[in-house]
Amino acid sequence: MLFRRIYQFLIVYCLGVVGLLTVKYAAGLSNYVIPGLALIFDTAHRMLAGYFLDVLNTLSVTVLGQMISIFMAFFVGIIGRKSSWAGSFIKVMAYNIQAYPIVALAPIIFILLGDGFLSRLLIASMICYFPLLLSVLGIMASPIKDIEHFYIATGRMRWQLEVKIRAFENLNKLTTVIAGSATLAMAGTIVAEFIAADQGIGYSIRIALYQSDLARILVALFSIGIIISVYQGILETVGEQMKTKWFAPKGGDLI
Amino acid sequence: MNQKIKIDTVIRAGLMVLCMMLFSAVTPAVAGDTLNYRLKWLFNTSVAGDIIADTGGFFKNAGLDVSVNEGGAGKNAIKELELGYANFGVASADQVIRALEKGADVVVLAQLFQVNPMQWIYRSDQPEIKGLSDLKGRHIGVTFGGNDETIMNTLLAKAGLTSKDVRISSVRFDFTPFLKKEVDVWPVYRNSQGVILEDRLAAEGEQVKFFNPADYGVSFVANSVVTSGTMMKKHPETVKAFMTALLSAWEFAVNPANESQVLAQIKKKDKGTKDDIRQKQLKATRPLIKPDKGTKIGTIDVRAWQQTERIMVKEQQIMAPVDVTSRLVGPKKQS
Repeated sequence: MLFRRIYQFLIVYCLGVVGLLTVKYAAGLSNYVIPGLALIFDTAHRMLAGYFLDVLNTLSVTVLGQMISIFMAFFVGIIGRKSSWAGSFIKVMAYNIQAYPIVALAPIIFILLGDGFLSRLLIASMICYFPLLLSVLGIMASPIKDIEHFYIATGRMRWQLEVKIRAFENLNKLTTVIAGSATLAMAGTIVAEFIAADQGIGYSIRIALYQSDLARILVALFSIGIIISVYQGILETVGEQMKTKWFAPKGGDLI
Repeated sequence: MNQKIKIDTVIRAGLMVLCMMLFSAVTPAVAGDTLNYRLKWLFNTSVAGDIIADTGGFFKNAGLDVSVNEGGAGKNAIKELELGYANFGVASADQVIRALEKGADVVVLAQLFQVNPMQWIYRSDQPEIKGLSDLKGRHIGVTFGGNDETIMNTLLAKAGLTSKDVRISSVRFDFTPFLKKEVDVWPVYRNSQGVILEDRLAAEGEQVKFFNPADYGVSFVANSVVTSGTMMKKHPETVKAFMTALLSAWEFAVNPANESQVLAQIKKKDKGTKDDIRQKQLKATRPLIKPDKGTKIGTIDVRAWQQTERIMVKEQQIMAPVDVTSRLVGPKKQS
């Protein structure tokens, strides 16, 4: 799974570069508009190590932001699963707030919190939180009638059990949503860094843009792509392992 | 079967149209067409002459049909020249030098700013910066990767200071760190942001001063009018007519006698700025474009260009000299 993610990214990246080079040579453009392969390699030689560290810096905020989002989404999703007044209110709130482009709030966050770690974390969390919340709410609010009926009828149903049943039955969906939200969290962090932070790969891309250096941007995109592919691959692998464990309890067989 | 062939034909035709559109977009316009002039930044008082050239009929009187287009953060006039989206543009000296390093075919027709508007603002209650050594111990804002970082590094090196002697902070889009007194010395464009900040602090009873690198021998060239070498070679008459009209418009724009007319034209393009601020901005722009009566607008300061190139090499903004003077084709300052 991990390697599939990486080579899929490499194929897309190479196709993109080939497309750019085709335009460059077809239109006879200079290295200033679209860098040639030699310049891209030279820039990679100079910048790649630094950019990898920048992406790791960004990733550390992404992971933390995503963890906060997952925790919050499950917390609110579990509370909002009921068809009570409070549950309906949370659902309506979540649907309405997620419709608002959170990135537009970034300047306010930077003015209030400055351009440090907290702003990046908050924007990353906010950007991946709402899509996660909607999925978790959807899953948690949909009863698995066949199974739940038994526990309700025997009077053994508790909220913890209800949540477990619904999570277990939708494990594939949850794993996919969590792995997908990694991209959103990463995008949120990069946007935050691009707007105002003084660290991370978004900040490095901003500097490259100031200097109209497309070669640097291409190298930065390569670093981001490789690392996010590895991260998503790891998330998917962990998800697979969890599924295997859940489906094969101690001493039992795989269902 | 017939339907499949039809769909196939439609797809092929679509692709052909797309290719034709792409290639027509990268074909430079010739004389007789609308000429596109890409500015470096948004419409404001800093581009008074460019606005007047358009709305004041200077281009029209020269028999030119020119579309003056706003610039912005993602816009780059030199790239647009090469892609054929623009025929003329405004670019900073560092953009020109970087482009030359990477093989772009660009020439400089005129240097609009004789004095770089990029300066630093600080409060008057702070010790005055009388010499470069007075920068020691200050908390200075710079835009990492921007011109101001290069200029400040040069100033510090000139003063024999290192980054340990000052505190450098990254500058972002808003002035909050300066307004909250977290940063002492803040980079601004003297004639636009500088005026706004000065006005805002005056309202709070605070006075400000400006620190101009040119006063300490660092003349980093700012905005200039550029075109492609091909345009220069193939349509020299169009280039000449364009430049004559543009520079006449700038002469008109910075003449205090025309202030009300000029401000009225700017107001049409820049509706978001208050009238009194626009007036102050125009007043601050004049000495940057025409420092004295004897200076001809657009004159290229070759020494300043050479210094800019040297600074960029020293600061490793470019790997090797590019002989920028060979690309300065406009009227030059007599030394």
